[in-house]
Amino acid sequence: MCGLASDNPLEVQIKLIRKYLKLKIMADNVSFRGHSQERDHIYDLFKRTVSHGESHSALMLGPRGCGKTTLINSVLHQISKEVDLSNDAIIVRLNGLIHHDEKIALKSITAQMQLENAVGDRVFGTFAENLAFLLSCLQSGADRRCKSMLFILEEFDMFCHSGRTQTLLYNLFDITHSEQAPMCVLGVTNRLDVMDLLEKRVKSRFSHRHLFIFPNEHDSQRAPQYKYRDVLVQLLSLPVQKVVKKKARSRRNTVSEETEPDTVLENSLPPHILARYPDFEHLNPDFILDWNQHIEGMAEDYKVIDCLEKLCYYSVNEQIFRNILFELVSKLSCDSPYIDASDLSAIIDKTVAPEHRVKLLQSLSILELSLVIAMKHGMEIFDGQPMNFEMVLHRYTKFANSNSSTQTVPRPVILKAFEHLQELEIIMPVKTTDSIYNGSETTANRVQKEYKLYTLAVPNEDISDAVKNFKALPTEINHWFNNSVI
Amino acid sequence: MEEIQNKVPCREEQLNDLFNLLGEGDECLPCSIFISGSMATGKSLCVNSVLRNLNYKHVIIDCIECYTPKIMYEGILSGLDDEEIEVKCETLMDLTNNLNRLQEAAIGNNPVVIVFDRAERLRTMDHNIMSAFLRLRELCNLNVCTIFITHLVYENFYFKMGVREPIKLYFPNYNKEELFKIIFLHQKSFINHLLITHEVDDDIREELEKPELFANFLNAFLSVFYRPCRDLIELQHMACVNFIKYCEPIIKNEINATDLSKLWRHISPILKSSLELLYLRISNSKAVNPSPGKENSDGESIPVHNFENTLKEELTSTKTFAQSFELPYYAKFLLIAAYLASYNPPKEDKRLFMKNHGKQRKRLQQVKAKAKITEKLNTQLGPKVFTLDRLLAIFYAILEEKIGLTSNLLAQIATLVELKLIAGSKEIDLDTAKYKCIVGYDFISAVAQTVGFNVRKYLYDFM
Repeated sequence: MCGLASDNPLEVQIKLIRKYLKLKIMADNVSFRGHSQERDHIYDLFKRTVSHGESHSALMLGPRGCGKTTLINSVLHQISKEVDLSNDAIIVRLNGLIHHDEKIALKSITAQMQLENAVGDRVFGTFAENLAFLLSCLQSGADRRCKSMLFILEEFDMFCHSGRTQTLLYNLFDITHSEQAPMCVLGVTNRLDVMDLLEKRVKSRFSHRHLFIFPNEHDSQRAPQYKYRDVLVQLLSLPVQKVVKKKARSRRNTVSEETEPDTVLENSLPPHILARYPDFEHLNPDFILDWNQHIEGMAEDYKVIDCLEKLCYYSVNEQIFRNILFELVSKLSCDSPYIDASDLSAIIDKTVAPEHRVKLLQSLSILELSLVIAMKHGMEIFDGQPMNFEMVLHRYTKFANSNSSTQTVPRPVILKAFEHLQELEIIMPVKTTDSIYNGSETTANRVQKEYKLYTLAVPNEDISDAVKNFKALPTEINHWFNNSVI
Repeated sequence: MEEIQNKVPCREEQLNDLFNLLGEGDECLPCSIFISGSMATGKSLCVNSVLRNLNYKHVIIDCIECYTPKIMYEGILSGLDDEEIEVKCETLMDLTNNLNRLQEAAIGNNPVVIVFDRAERLRTMDHNIMSAFLRLRELCNLNVCTIFITHLVYENFYFKMGVREPIKLYFPNYNKEELFKIIFLHQKSFINHLLITHEVDDDIREELEKPELFANFLNAFLSVFYRPCRDLIELQHMACVNFIKYCEPIIKNEINATDLSKLWRHISPILKSSLELLYLRISNSKAVNPSPGKENSDGESIPVHNFENTLKEELTSTKTFAQSFELPYYAKFLLIAAYLASYNPPKEDKRLFMKNHGKQRKRLQQVKAKAKITEKLNTQLGPKVFTLDRLLAIFYAILEEKIGLTSNLLAQIATLVELKLIAGSKEIDLDTAKYKCIVGYDFISAVAQTVGFNVRKYLYDFM
């Protein structure tokens, strides 16, 4: 848009590349790599439910950011190309974060089945009645068998309420056993102990089909950084084919999907996303070639491999990696049209070891830092017993008196500094209240703020790191810190 | 870009990061950004000015205003919707549905940014709210980005089951030079403030408006205040108060504006004494105008309390504050007795208040006194509760004269409770009432001084 208005062709191209790559990193939720076995399994389940009318239930488990949702999306995408998914089946997607309440879930199910009109103002006695009614609506609608239904429950653990009864799960799993309707229930969660959360009656109706997805499972002989490198190349490469052809393809695709197979372009975005952004046709093919060469060259760089290895030590979460790539791509501009390996390593360092807490400690004033040190010493002496303001003040004044060079500040100011520490949650009250924001103490056991007990909420290593690298720290404080007990 | 950097000084790196991440036009936004940094480091200011500059559709939600999620959801929707329709939105599902509706109706691919200021408050809400907002992009079809602004670090946000990780940015504090630069930018408003409050001749006014004078003042000011305080807002406030005092001798023609050493000698004791008022916002002057240089921080400014002059002076020190109560004679003794009862262990009462307590245990006491640990002193652990009997016993012990136990005397206790000097029930129940003295040592010694009583002599900790 604004990029096209400017005259500089380099700028236009860079902006387009940036936009394309950002879109590829963030919005592409269909392309899926690896885990072919699990993917086939899910595909098989869905396919059998949709085309053969079988009922299934399954649970997919895997840590955060390993691609569980993307797997499902890609399977659905594939199936939608093979069969008429919108007519043959109803996909109901529920997310535990939003629909954990039964009433809300039911409302959402009704909406996703497009049965709001049928339900109208009807009042139902129980959840089961309501669900049964919804299913019967589907059956009686036309003179044919009921549509297949795919229930995808993300954040499955959120549906397993411990206090209340798990009505939704019970009913869903129950239907998979009855002849009412062909239905596939797929739970997705990152909690490995999710089975223990289920009620007995729910558990007995579940098929116990578990699918585990682990980030580094399938290629154990290769170090994970090489997998990341492949991802990097794949995500940052632009579609190779000539742009004229691509443009034509994307148009044709929107009209009729079956005539043109989707494998013409490698590394391209899925067409339904591209259709929303028409201005990619201005991408210059020479530029794309140049860019892809640059990316491939970068992937060979040993510095890049080193950074990725470092990242793998800390996390194998692909979402975090995508965030890193996003930051990397967003740095592209006219002045720096290429990705720099040092940028990548800087961003990775920032992400895996942000040390924000150390920086927060370093942002304290000298007075506040002194209080933290005083408190640390006090807790060392008394074996980690919590301290109140008076004790900290006592230690601090002892130090301040022994050093004539320190300016003395009056008590109210020190108290304010202490409260500031509390607000930053560097120190935490020991009482049942874990934060100052939800203080619900009764008046009977209220203590004056000077006598409220606190513990230090930052680890000692962070304090010593902060003191070590503190800018313009007076020497006496450094000395006091290192010589601990006075 | 330059314009915005002038408006938000000393934050180039952070502004650049934000501009890069948010892109331009209909570029894809990141899922969520988490911004942390101590108070008054320009977090909200940066985000707001970047968003305004990019002209994105955005809502800024101050989480402190949202005591129920419903208010927050409706705030988001009404901020994004151009039409003025009352939307009811109680649950996250309603929110996502409404957002999807908006996407179809109006927004399309255009970027939408939702800013949560003071995001630490989100932790007290239902735990799935923040998790859901962190992945809002996945939950609805919008090109949406959520930005969380908070003074806490990300580790303080504890998610039991993990969340989609945001991109984290950190805003470091301004260092001394940057603080100097920022406060110096507001020189004009400082001068204006000065000119409003004082009548100034034209030639002196020229002197005052010289930037060197203000720079010299700021150097002196920061050398004293930088150590206990790094909060820009507070420093600006204190600088404003003190700059007037700095200029007073110049206005009165006592000190020449170029005589820096004399000016320094004049201001340094004033700065030292006003250090005591740091954060307390008790200004001695009657100035009620909002302090200058705070235009850009109006969201965070704390209203300056406008006490009556006399009250202000009384509040500045505990001593005058204690005297301001003007308690009756016996009430003072009752208060002292309450303090002694709170801070002395009951088993030592006999030794402290009786004339013939025997001397046989003296050696043991000395041994004990040596073993006393400062951290375990009663004065450091806080007041203990005591019964009415004990209070009255101590009261009669420390009072020289003999007076009867009248209802008047008991009413005094109720008064002290009412004045919040003693904590306890207002009704006096002779058998069950439990009290606690809640004033500090400074206060008590000020009260004791007026009746010629030595508190230290009767405190177990000081024996």
